[in-house]
Amino acid sequence: MALLQISEPGKSTMPHEHRNAVGIDLGTTNSLVASVISGTASILKQTNNSNLLASVVNYSSDNTIVGIEAKKLQIHDPQNTISSVKRLIGKNLSDINQKNYSLNLQNKEGIISIKTNQGEKNPIEISADILKKLKKTAEDNLGNELYGAVITVPAYFDDAQRQATKDAAKLAGINVLRLINEPTAAAVAYGLDQNKEGNFVIYDLGGGTFDISILNLSKGIFEVQATHGDANLGGDDYDQAIFNWLSENNKINTSDAIIKQKLYALSREIKEKLTDKTTLTINEKINEKIHIKCQLSQKDFEKITKNLTKKTIDSTRHALHDAGLSVSEIQGIVMVGGSTRMPCIQNAVEDFFKQPLLNNLNPDEVVALGAAQQANILAGNTNDNLLLLDVIPLSLGIETVGEIVERIIPRNSTLPISMGQEFTTYKDGQTAMIIHVVQGERDLVKNCRSLAKFTLKAIPPLVAGAAKILVTFQIDTDGLLSVSARELSTGIQSAIEVKPSYGLSDKKIKKMLEDSFNLAKEDKESRALSEAKTEGLQLCEMIENAIKEDPSLLDKKELNLLQKNLVKLKKLLESSDRNNIEKITKLLNDNSQSFAAKRMDKSIHKALTGKSVSSLEF
Amino acid sequence: MQFNIDLNRLQKSYRIIQAEIHPDKFISASEIEKKQSLIKSTEVNDAYQTLKNPIKRAKYLIKINLKSKQKDSTLPPNFLMKQMEWEEYLESIWNQKEELEKFKLLISTEYQKILNALENACDKNKNWNDAMQIINEIQFIDKLNHKIIKQINEIETK
Repeated sequence: MALLQISEPGKSTMPHEHRNAVGIDLGTTNSLVASVISGTASILKQTNNSNLLASVVNYSSDNTIVGIEAKKLQIHDPQNTISSVKRLIGKNLSDINQKNYSLNLQNKEGIISIKTNQGEKNPIEISADILKKLKKTAEDNLGNELYGAVITVPAYFDDAQRQATKDAAKLAGINVLRLINEPTAAAVAYGLDQNKEGNFVIYDLGGGTFDISILNLSKGIFEVQATHGDANLGGDDYDQAIFNWLSENNKINTSDAIIKQKLYALSREIKEKLTDKTTLTINEKINEKIHIKCQLSQKDFEKITKNLTKKTIDSTRHALHDAGLSVSEIQGIVMVGGSTRMPCIQNAVEDFFKQPLLNNLNPDEVVALGAAQQANILAGNTNDNLLLLDVIPLSLGIETVGEIVERIIPRNSTLPISMGQEFTTYKDGQTAMIIHVVQGERDLVKNCRSLAKFTLKAIPPLVAGAAKILVTFQIDTDGLLSVSARELSTGIQSAIEVKPSYGLSDKKIKKMLEDSFNLAKEDKESRALSEAKTEGLQLCEMIENAIKEDPSLLDKKELNLLQKNLVKLKKLLESSDRNNIEKITKLLNDNSQSFAAKRMDKSIHKALTGKSVSSLEF
Repeated sequence: MQFNIDLNRLQKSYRIIQAEIHPDKFISASEIEKKQSLIKSTEVNDAYQTLKNPIKRAKYLIKINLKSKQKDSTLPPNFLMKQMEWEEYLESIWNQKEELEKFKLLISTEYQKILNALENACDKNKNWNDAMQIINEIQFIDKLNHKIIKQINEIETK
């Protein structure tokens, strides 16, 4: 394709600087890690030679066990064995049905905590243990230390669930290059494979969740148009439908736990067998009294699950509407998730779109493969031009009088995005206020997810209504929220204290990280010094390069200031004076912001004029 | 800048710019560049959304051009009459999909007509007070259109 590729400074690494980057699909039932090796994305094998790592962790002894070995222990040691932790991450006890868990669950400082033989474990720590195992798999396979990873999350994950996933990765010692949505990752796997162009639908039905995304692909740009879904709809519901059918038709009393368990297992087996059989004869002895003898055809299965399938099609219709597209404008449909193997799903989706589906990649692996490709690009290992423009899946709002939600950022807005909102005081001399941020589409606060409460402090004491505080909500490319505030009449930056409704505060995460490194005091200091030096050195190099390239963007005063501090910092870098290195680094950082902004503007102009000369070939 | 813009070119330019400055292009860059890329990329997204949508685009033009407000922005009587007629008609065909589809077409022709009027007010006459009034009318039609589409979807999902 490209004849000669010249990388721009600071944006791409030289070929010999290959960085080990992986894609991680952190799944409810199974997790996978993949990497691009000699140009091809492939799944990295676990120690038992399997592509999948069961997302199960056992804490019965001091030795943490992850994977199939832990899964085997579940029956005998249910209290210390945790599966499906993805359903718990970023949530608190009131969000889940405790009856479904044989674990000892508690609420601790806003998040779920599980009592085990190794002490209390929260979903972030448990996910981190799975991620640590995947990291080891990656390093064993790739032979070197891991540079970073792209981790996938369901498109419908809210801010708290995304933040918790990222925290888990940090705790596992993984440098998170980016969190990306599972359907988007699947689109990358298909798009890069086949150089597709046009509008694509990603239909993702997993064990417990359903996501639908509509993307526009053009010359390596993946622009998400709309996303929709149902966080409580998946293959498990199809098992339940067979379970109900079996118990009704055979008049089985399912109040007994053992019978229930056996019937569930049988239902799942029937579902899987019906994938390539038109009719299935069931002949199964549940116990001495109950002997099931019957037949279930694919047609009947389709009938008893019609409502479930219809729900996914309704979501699909909704997403198309949000994207402003009709069925005839869709160029391809990608099927993701093990549950899309069911013929009734394949038929329903094919009927709706009136065209054959794309399912030549393994639906269990496609997400990890796409994430690996994106990781490889972000790490700068390739000059493939690919850009993902993803959206925020759920609207962001704040609580107003009467517990009504005022929407600030509408769902399906392209990321990154920020929105400012002005607030004022209602009492004379008021110096603080609380802002409650929620996520969801409903009008009442109680029907949305509470994300965080922000306390604005240090508001200058003025008469009621005189202070004008501009609060800016920024959502970054990982879909994560940050908030800043400024009082407009005085220009005072308000201090913000964040109390997340779910998950952990920054302080607590920092402490967990420090504990996990378990370093002695001297080690901590030398580590901090080396980090400060690396940062300072990088900054010096960056600024010196920038001055060389764009001297015209600086006036004499600015140039002098930068050069003065550059000399200062370089000298400090030869010492062990960490405090001053950090101080001057920060100063230099602040000094060069406007220079960096001007350089970015220049590159925009250059890109636009350059492209218009060669007749905008998009 | 004017109201009538080439949307195709807008999208192309948007993509060229994002391909240059998006935070994904600065994963291994310095903190300064990361921060600037986040700021710029956010601004570009905001600008794109403003320019892409005719109502937002016109509102932006009014904001930068209108020096003093002359008229109040209430709807003119003849439009209010039309509005009531449409509302009543919509109610009478509420459960008839085919009639709704026909009505949708009629409304989209109205939308197009009024969009032309907005273009005239902005680009030809530079009458920002007029433009403001037309926006009020467009917003009503826009809402009505969404209501119709939502009801058609509702019928389809039944």
